Amino acid sequence: MKRRTFLTGVGTAGAVGLAGCTGFVGGGGDPSGTLTVATYSSFTGEGTAGTWLKSAFEGEYPDATVEFVTPENGLNQYIQRAQQDAPIDADLYVGLNTGELVRADERLDTDLFVSVENSLDGAERVKSDLRIDPDGRAITYDTGYITLVYDEDEVSGPFTFDALLDPEFEDALITQNAQQSDPGRAFLLWTIDAKGEDGYLDYWQGLVDNGVTILDDWEPAYNAYLAEEAPMVVSYSTDQVYYHGPDVDMSRHQVGFIEDQGYANPEAMALFAGSDQSELGRQFMEFVLTPEAQREVASRNVQYPAVEGVEMPEEFSQYAYEPPEAVTFTYDELAGNVSTWIENWARQVATN
Amino acid sequence: MDRELGPAGRDELSGSPARSVTDRLRGAVERNALALGTLGTVAVLVVTFYHPVGTVLLEAVVDGGRLTLGPLLAVLADPFYTGVASGLFAEPLAVPGGILAWLGQVSLSPFAVPSASLGLIGFTAYQAALSTVASVALGLPGAYLLSRFEFRGRRTIRSLTILPFVLPSIMVAVGFLAMFGANGVFNDVLRVFGLGPFRLLFTLEIVILAHAFYNAPLVTRLVTAAWESVDASGVETARAMGASPRRAFRDVVVPQLLPALLTAALLAFVFTFMTFPIVLALGGLRLATLEVWLYARVRDLALAEAAAIGTIETVVTLSLTYLYLRYEARTAGTTDRGRPLTRRPLFDGVRSLADPVRLALLGYGAVVVVVFVGPLLSMVVESVTTPSGAFTTAYWQFLVDQQTAATAGTVQPLQAVVRSLLFGAGTLLLAVPMGVVVSVLSVRGGRGSRAVEAVLTAPLAVSGVVVGLGLLQTLVFGTVLFGQRIVLTGAVAVVAAHAVSAYPFVTRNVAPALGGLDPRVVDAARSLGASRVRTLLDVELPLVATSVLAGAAFAFAISVGEFDATVILAEGVDSATMPVALERYIGNRSIGPSLGPATAMGTVLLAVTAVSFFAIDRLGGRYER
Repeated sequence: MKRRTFLTGVGTAGAVGLAGCTGFVGGGGDPSGTLTVATYSSFTGEGTAGTWLKSAFEGEYPDATVEFVTPENGLNQYIQRAQQDAPIDADLYVGLNTGELVRADERLDTDLFVSVENSLDGAERVKSDLRIDPDGRAITYDTGYITLVYDEDEVSGPFTFDALLDPEFEDALITQNAQQSDPGRAFLLWTIDAKGEDGYLDYWQGLVDNGVTILDDWEPAYNAYLAEEAPMVVSYSTDQVYYHGPDVDMSRHQVGFIEDQGYANPEAMALFAGSDQSELGRQFMEFVLTPEAQREVASRNVQYPAVEGVEMPEEFSQYAYEPPEAVTFTYDELAGNVSTWIENWARQVATN
Repeated sequence: MDRELGPAGRDELSGSPARSVTDRLRGAVERNALALGTLGTVAVLVVTFYHPVGTVLLEAVVDGGRLTLGPLLAVLADPFYTGVASGLFAEPLAVPGGILAWLGQVSLSPFAVPSASLGLIGFTAYQAALSTVASVALGLPGAYLLSRFEFRGRRTIRSLTILPFVLPSIMVAVGFLAMFGANGVFNDVLRVFGLGPFRLLFTLEIVILAHAFYNAPLVTRLVTAAWESVDASGVETARAMGASPRRAFRDVVVPQLLPALLTAALLAFVFTFMTFPIVLALGGLRLATLEVWLYARVRDLALAEAAAIGTIETVVTLSLTYLYLRYEARTAGTTDRGRPLTRRPLFDGVRSLADPVRLALLGYGAVVVVVFVGPLLSMVVESVTTPSGAFTTAYWQFLVDQQTAATAGTVQPLQAVVRSLLFGAGTLLLAVPMGVVVSVLSVRGGRGSRAVEAVLTAPLAVSGVVVGLGLLQTLVFGTVLFGQRIVLTGAVAVVAAHAVSAYPFVTRNVAPALGGLDPRVVDAARSLGASRVRTLLDVELPLVATSVLAGAAFAFAISVGEFDATVILAEGVDSATMPVALERYIGNRSIGPSLGPATAMGTVLLAVTAVSFFAIDRLGGRYER
């Protein structure tokens, strides 16, 4: 008997049903209806950029509701849905980077997203070097810079790519797997920018011979760094925004630009082609680009805002560093290449 | 199912022609229960396993509606995957030389990594073999200790051996870092003796140790259960007939332990052959295995290559499973229901400490403390320690804050605990009947039933990444049937998926025990008029209750520790079981990027699991002898 009550219990809580009923058709005028925003899980929850955006947007437009969905496999979820003609079930994607946009375009014959840049209020204020999409579909809303974080008691700059091969830096660097980690991929692309498509594999052989450690993602890498397994880790230039204060040993939180550069990793948002809430979606995107939202989103994400002239909080300006020179590959440079670059790199490392 | 005695015959025997409708109905259900159970089991398996996995793996052999071997051959002929054996597929005529060259690469120094020449597949098998040896070496003495000696806390320790099983890999990484890192406890202790420090992290050794951390307890649990059901009178008879203790052990006890030991070794090999997150969390990309590659191909949406890798993995693991099942069927002994061997007290006066066996066990205890207790305890300590080593309650405060937060999308710890327990209980209630049904089929089956059983054991033998992708493509995206797109997600789907990955553990525990029962017991019950199901419920299962309980415990643990299927089949906070909550807290930056909150949640996970297992073992205690 117990078994039956239990099963009914979860049965009602669960959702066994037919999909394909999103309904609401939006129009001009005051925004209303429900906007489904797909994003990564740490964008939502208590104290996050997503939660701030939701309540601020709903405060501005009382008839509108913002709902977040956080599929585990990120953008792939929607590329695969499009491949299989399954319903997209979302209006907007937030948290897109250039490489992912390239992947979506390479894997699909039709456009997953629609072009909005020309009709979007505020899109013209996005810094030109942060615009990632030549077709104007993905609109950048913030950016991070990938750099080294190092222990000044153990190693010292200035850092160059060639110097990282020196005995001084033996077993000194921890980075992340470019196949699955954002900072790891940014660091790999940075070395390709520096050493060229023909030289980066040799360079990485040198790094491997010098004892570079490549862990799966940022958390285990940074955790190993904090446990002093190595004196350098690939991380973000905003490191000290998190780690400062009277109790923190700042010597282990030094931000080191390589060759006075940092690799920019802009984050963008885009409107799904099949969305029946495209008007509401556009209004949400415009809202994200307003100065106030730019400041709130960037500081909650601990990233740099994407539009010019945003006043950041004191604490951020003091502890975040912008590289003298930002490098990043454009959409056109990555298209047709990025997947091969990463795979060849991974094979090179794994055959050691 | 009722071949000897049809329903009509039984009615005459029971001598009650005027039975009520309910009785008749009950009779009908009872007669067909096994068939219904089989049907239900197959239905659950098809929907949440065979169909999803099939859609993924088909990509390896079907291209645009036509059969092809292209993707498989592309992988097999690629030296990156198969090393010097790639010639086997690229140039089949050069085969013998290729094999010799390949075997020659297996170095005598076990930790020298010959991955370039072995290829990714060879290296994966190689590290799995080493991991299996390590798991058996670390697990077997534990079984000896727990089944042959009596000491305070023995049953508690036996319950706790399940703990490593439910721990997410990131927490094992945290624990291992704190224990074996450059500044870890292990090196600190060595320093006291003027040794070290040793750089242990990011090596093949530490990955194998982590694999043993997960799988040695499996060896211990399975072998302990077998050892406890050895009948003492068999040993006594052998001794009375003049066999030495060693001879009696070799001829009477070992044959009864061997199936359990080989099952455990097989599982350890299969699991470490398909190992995934722990390799990159502790070893790094240099030590990448097949599953790491499979995951990367899936992320890159290179699904045909992913399917080819998944197919190759499955062929290897399923073949091993099949060979093992053949062996098991051939050697099936009888499950004795006599007196268990008496346990010796571990500490029996001061003089017993000089006993070499007890001294060795003491040394083993020290190893257990370092390899198992150390990482687990380290994680608990990390949950109250700042990066600079000071005491803090901030991470536990974080859990409290999450609990009281009202924001949508916030994962609340208590709800995660409750959800985990509900899913665990649901899994247990579904997986145990499924496992028993499959056990009955495989034990009483005829020719070819080993192959069927191997296929039914497939949920153990198929890559988790493949299963996850399949569930996504079929249940989450929906399957079009009769013009309707049918989506199956939510709690029911999660429990079904958990049960599918859990039930083979029930089968692996129950089938050998059922097979060992004296067939005459069943025949006697049947000839007295009991239906097949009555016989099973009233006669057979009570006799193998220990095995059912052991399987149920595994089922529960699988569910509690499961991550992938849970987050794929349930969205957002609906999927938030304890491991999912833990993962969400890793990504939460509200108190800065820190694994602290995750270690606090990991501690909750350990505590809840420990208490559950204590309860399961105690509740089941009345079945034990």
